Amino acid sequence: MDNLDDLKALWLSAKTDSLPQPEEMLRMVKKFRDQRIRRKVIIIVIALLCAVIMFWGMLFDGFTMFTTYIGDVLMIISCIILVVTNLRSIKRFYQLKDCSNAEFVQFIERTRQNQIYFYKNTQVIAMSITSVGLMLYWYELVHRKPALTIIIYSATIIYLGVMWFVVRPRVFKKNARKLNEMLERLEKISKQF
Amino acid sequence: MTSFEEIYAKHSPQIFRVCMGYFNDPDQAKDITQETFISVWKNLDTFRNESHISTWIFRIATNNCLRALEKSKRVITTELPANLPVLHEETQEEKLAFLYQCIAELEETERIIISLVLEDLPQAEIAEIVGLSAGNVRVKIHRIKEKLAIKFKANGQFR
Repeated sequence: MDNLDDLKALWLSAKTDSLPQPEEMLRMVKKFRDQRIRRKVIIIVIALLCAVIMFWGMLFDGFTMFTTYIGDVLMIISCIILVVTNLRSIKRFYQLKDCSNAEFVQFIERTRQNQIYFYKNTQVIAMSITSVGLMLYWYELVHRKPALTIIIYSATIIYLGVMWFVVRPRVFKKNARKLNEMLERLEKISKQF
Repeated sequence: MTSFEEIYAKHSPQIFRVCMGYFNDPDQAKDITQETFISVWKNLDTFRNESHISTWIFRIATNNCLRALEKSKRVITTELPANLPVLHEETQEEKLAFLYQCIAELEETERIIISLVLEDLPQAEIAEIVGLSAGNVRVKIHRIKEKLAIKFKANGQFR
C-alpha cells in the first residue's frame, strides 16, 4: 500500500469536536453512577434485609415446631446464595481487566459460561431451597386452622408453580438465547486471535 | 488542569477515532470513548505510574469495543458495490466515510489493528494491546492493507 500516509492523514482528519471538553468530562465521570450495578445492589440489600428479618424472627418469635426453624434456615440460605452470587457478579464487573484483547475475550467467554451455569444450576438450587423453606415455614402458623391452611398452601403452590413453570422458563429461554448468541460471536472473535 | 484532564485532552480524540473505526457510528464511538475515560478515571491511581499509559488506555478502549457485542447495537456494515464509479471529486468527509465503511467490513480484530496502525502506534505496542505476537500482527497488518487496497482500487481512489 503506497498511500498509507494518505490514509493516515485522512484518518486524522476525523472531527472530534463533538467530544465533551476535559472539564465537562471530569464533571461527568465524578457524577457517574452505573445503572447496571444499582439493580444488583438493590437485590443484595433486599436479600440481606430478608435474611436479617428471618433470623430475628427465628430468635425472638418463639416458634415451637422444628419445621419452622428448618424453613427459616432454608430461606436464609437462599438469601445468602442470592447475596453471594450478586456480590461476585459486582466484583467481576468492577475488576478492570488490564489485559490484552485476546485475554479479555476469553474472560468474557468465561463470565458468560458462569452465567449459563447460574441459570441452569445455582438458580434451580436457590429456588428449590426457597420453595421447601416456604412450605415448612407456613406449617406452624396455619396448621391449626384447616381453612387457612388450604388458602395459604394453595396460594403458595400457585405462586411457586407460576415461578417454576412460567416465569423461570420464560426468563431462562430469553437469557439463554441471548447468551448463546453472544458466546457464538465471542467464539468467532476468539478464532481471529 | 489535573492529570486526568490532560490525559483526556491528549487521548480522547485518538480513542474516538479508534472507536469510529470499530463501530462506524459516531454515537456509539462517543459512548465507548466516554465509558473508556470513566474506567480511566476510576483506575487512574493504580496506573498513574505505568510507563505506557497510552497502551493501557487503548487496551481499555478496545476491550470496551469488544465488550459492546453484549449490547444489541451492531456495527454498520452496508455492503459497498464492487465497482463504484467516481462521478465527482469526493470531499474529505466522503473519503473518510468510505474509509470507515471499508474498515467496518473487516473482522473485529482487524478493525482494531488497522485503527491502531492509522493512529501510528508501533507494531510492538499493537501486539501488546491485541494480545498477538509481533510477527502475527505484522502478517495481519499486511493482509488488512491488501484488503483495503482492493476496496480502494475498486472505488478508483488508489494510486
